Amino acid sequence: MATDILIAEDEPSILEALSFVLQRAGWTVHAVTDGDAVMNAVRHASPRVLVLDIMMPKRSGFEVLKQIRGDADTRSLPVLVLTAKGQAQDRRVAEELGADSFVTKPYSNADVVDAIRKLLGEPAALAPQ
Amino acid sequence: MRAPIGLRISTRRKALRLSQAALARAVEVSPSYLNLIEANKRQVGGALLLRIAGELEMDIAELTGEAEHRLIHELVEAFSDPVLAGGKLGIEQARTLVATSPEIAQVIARLHRAYETAMTSADAYSDRLRADPLLSQLLHQVLSGITAIRSGAEILESVPDLSHEERQRFVGSINRETRGLSSVARNLIGQFDQTSSGGRFASARREVDDMIFAVQNHFPSLEEVAADRRVQIDREGPFGEETMAKVLDRDHGIRVQRSVASDTGRAFGYDSAARALWFRNTVPQSSRRFQMARLIAELTCADALEAATETLTLSSETARRGAKRYLGSYVAGAILFPYEAFLADARALRYDVDALSERYNASFEQIAHRLVTLRRAGAAGVPFGFLRADPAGRLSKHFPLPGLLLPNTGHACPLWAIYAAFRTPGQIVRQVARFSDGSRFLFVAKAVARRSSGFADNVPPHSILLVTDVLHADDTVYGDGLNLGDSRFDVPVGPTCRLCTRSDCASRQEDPWEPGGESAPPTLVLG
Repeated sequence: MATDILIAEDEPSILEALSFVLQRAGWTVHAVTDGDAVMNAVRHASPRVLVLDIMMPKRSGFEVLKQIRGDADTRSLPVLVLTAKGQAQDRRVAEELGADSFVTKPYSNADVVDAIRKLLGEPAALAPQ
Repeated sequence: MRAPIGLRISTRRKALRLSQAALARAVEVSPSYLNLIEANKRQVGGALLLRIAGELEMDIAELTGEAEHRLIHELVEAFSDPVLAGGKLGIEQARTLVATSPEIAQVIARLHRAYETAMTSADAYSDRLRADPLLSQLLHQVLSGITAIRSGAEILESVPDLSHEERQRFVGSINRETRGLSSVARNLIGQFDQTSSGGRFASARREVDDMIFAVQNHFPSLEEVAADRRVQIDREGPFGEETMAKVLDRDHGIRVQRSVASDTGRAFGYDSAARALWFRNTVPQSSRRFQMARLIAELTCADALEAATETLTLSSETARRGAKRYLGSYVAGAILFPYEAFLADARALRYDVDALSERYNASFEQIAHRLVTLRRAGAAGVPFGFLRADPAGRLSKHFPLPGLLLPNTGHACPLWAIYAAFRTPGQIVRQVARFSDGSRFLFVAKAVARRSSGFADNVPPHSILLVTDVLHADDTVYGDGLNLGDSRFDVPVGPTCRLCTRSDCASRQEDPWEPGGESAPPTLVLG
């Protein structure tokens, strides 16, 4: 079954809140918690957007991104990268590897929702929830 | 940029409790004319100004505001500082303040100067902190905790129809993250305590390492002088020992000598009194070439070395000496391995260190070190970290990578390839190492020994480690034949036992360090 958003994030509390917020915004959400699981999930869940944390166990977000962009099936998947404040270097690397959009931690929930709306080409919400 | 003279006259007049009419009378003008002067609608100068200054018992320079010119300028500068810019104060307010309350204007200017000094030193400290890998890992944990708490708190605040169960879940997760943050904070504080008790020399060396790391181990100004030197040497003949010896002799009156033994136990040295650079016969050609280039660098690039040392903003003379020594070697490397040519060869040979050694007549260590410095913006090579160990496991020469924890002192993790390399000296050992935070690196190590001078000569090898993020491994010859996407065969490692969180590691030699004290190793019975 197709999913709207695949989240790859290893911190359980961040993942829990993020899934909740994105579901509330009306999307279906699937989550994985390590880099190895991302490619499988991308293939099986066919998400419309991938929300990718850079610091993940097993395989970093960079590696995952490189692999996604190197594979003809997944090359055009929109990817929103979660970086940490102050990590300008991370952001540059992710840009080089082909990330479409960035949100910096610690973020406001609305930042993530807005960024995903943009990637999906959906109009902004009429009123904040 | 002067305070208006009229305002100054009226302020002083009021301070003396003189009426406008009384002062006008005393200086023999009409009260309405004085009124215009005080409102800055008439210029005043010459004899009238002198009379006014006399009546107001003021020095003429004080009255014309020459002395306060600088103060106004300083205030305008302070007002334009981003922290004060919101106040929308400008030159008019500065003039008024200087004219009416000069003492307060002085205090503001002094405060602003002190603030600027404090900001400069805060910047210097933050540069240092950014270079600390352990700290950056702890900061990552802090950011993750804050992200989770902020996100959860926003949900609790802004979603009105949360079920009881959902509410409990987010409150629980905020509680959990808060506890996690507290322990990270304790760890951070402990880390600073531990760092501050470190030895003086270790801290000077670490300071140099940190600053080198902060500039990514790349010095454009030194690359430039090195390229110039290389061109000059190349003009004298084919690049090599003979030509460098010729340059040393002709330009500096220094002879290169070879000998069988030395009194000091050292293998080479420079005797400034005898003007001789001497080598024992056991010193290989690659080292001789390097030391000659280094001597040329130190003799001819003193100013550039001095300037580059200054840019590192080091805090002690010991650290500056250490940095200058390092930078001398840097220039030597840049002379022997000119940037563009070396980068092109490195790319063509896919960073094969041994192949580059052969091409450049250089040692493994020299090539490995030069690879680390290929960080020119717009023309950078694969990013490498570098580490050297002696057979006792002691580490020296740290050039970390962003995201890779390299212990600053003592030992690394016993599972690292840098130690495995000692078991097969002269052969490359490679390893995909995975840290407990999930980051993966390709480790490439080789143990090398100097040449023995006889049966009694002990020649312990040392091991050189090159590290690159697994992400770049396929750009190097060392990634060939490895299934880099498959992490099942990674070697699970840590930075060092003290900083490692793997509790299930059979190779653990020391308990993890915890802030608040040592813990005794478990016994079999007590566990």
